[in-house]
Amino acid sequence: MRDDTDDQGHLADALRRCASGDQTALCAIFESEGARLVAVARRILRRGDLAEEAVQEGFVRIWTHAGTYAPDRGSARGWIYAIVRNQAINMLRRADRETPHEDVENLALSAPTPEAMTATVEALDARSSLRRCLALLDEDKRACVLLAYLYGFTHGEIAGRLGVPLGTAKSWVRRGLSALRECLS
Amino acid sequence: MSSREDIRELADEYVLGLLDPDEQAAVELAIEADPALRAAVADSRDRFVEFDLAAGADEISDGLWARIEAATARTTQARTAEPSSRAGSPANDNRLVWWRRAAAAGLAASLVLATLLGWSLSQAPDPQVIAVLIDDAGEPVALVEDFGGESARLVILADIAVPGDRSIQVWTKPSEEVGPVSIGVIDAAMTTRLDGWRLPSPKEAQLYEITLEREGGSPTGLPTGPILGKGFAKAPR
Repeated sequence: MRDDTDDQGHLADALRRCASGDQTALCAIFESEGARLVAVARRILRRGDLAEEAVQEGFVRIWTHAGTYAPDRGSARGWIYAIVRNQAINMLRRADRETPHEDVENLALSAPTPEAMTATVEALDARSSLRRCLALLDEDKRACVLLAYLYGFTHGEIAGRLGVPLGTAKSWVRRGLSALRECLS
Repeated sequence: MSSREDIRELADEYVLGLLDPDEQAAVELAIEADPALRAAVADSRDRFVEFDLAAGADEISDGLWARIEAATARTTQARTAEPSSRAGSPANDNRLVWWRRAAAAGLAASLVLATLLGWSLSQAPDPQVIAVLIDDAGEPVALVEDFGGESARLVILADIAVPGDRSIQVWTKPSEEVGPVSIGVIDAAMTTRLDGWRLPSPKEAQLYEITLEREGGSPTGLPTGPILGKGFAKAPR
């Protein structure tokens, strides 16, 4: 088990060094987080080559924006993962606009199985509050949160996947997120 | 003006990637200037990052770090080549300084945020797709703006005579399996807001058409009358 506090210090320090132009610090971030960041991006983009592209773009952004990181932006790790995740989601949305419809629909609607989603929740630490709070949500709202966060689904794609009108999907997402905030606060 | 809960909701939707591109860009601007929003986004990220930490490690191809190194080297070079880089800013980014200044100068952050919350909460409609409906002769007769499968605006572009015992009915076909679905019946050929129906989010190339039907709409629930115009949806770029 890694020590989160140490890790946080090490990543925040690495970002400071990146900001001053020290490329070995970026390499250190890659060594400790790269493989997991590729996994995060692959969950969204479904393809290893695209996931690596997202991670590459993400690292360029981490490098050029390291100077904007400050503790009031949350943990260094949350900041780093958000950059790569955003990169992957932007690539996914770009692909949605540029590729023929059937491919995208298949991508959006078929990929994550309920088993895969359950497995992701079970991969969370048994003592995790996030895990405990997710378990309190009803199934639809939990699915909404997971589809959006893990797979980068839009409201429209969530509606399509769950077979409900867009308005219902939006309202489930809102209620799911609000219940999680309350439970985790 | 906006409650703490609204800001937290906006932050969550931003972090999950649920905002449309305009809203996302507006949040990114507002984060720089609004500490409450910045804190809410930070909280939200740290609430969900656990999922990412539990993701396990993927195999990485051998060349990935070399590619990153090359790409960042290009970036650094591009930036040092800029003549205007200022002293005192971080070596590879001076936006932070710009933003701090902007915030300190009282940039209308609350205005940005209010506008943004206004958009987000009222979900002020930008059409998700627009279809120009064309008649047999190839003339545009109407335009449909679909705001997300729940409401639409029909704009009439030609003089269409509607006899007293007839109505115009507006249809769309979300998919082949579903077939045509009515999204509104109007008695006069004028620009009209169509509400009160629920369909999945419209897609590009979805078919829209208007037909002339018996007064009050088709008795069968499917188009029966002559087609006045039809067209396929396009998403605004």
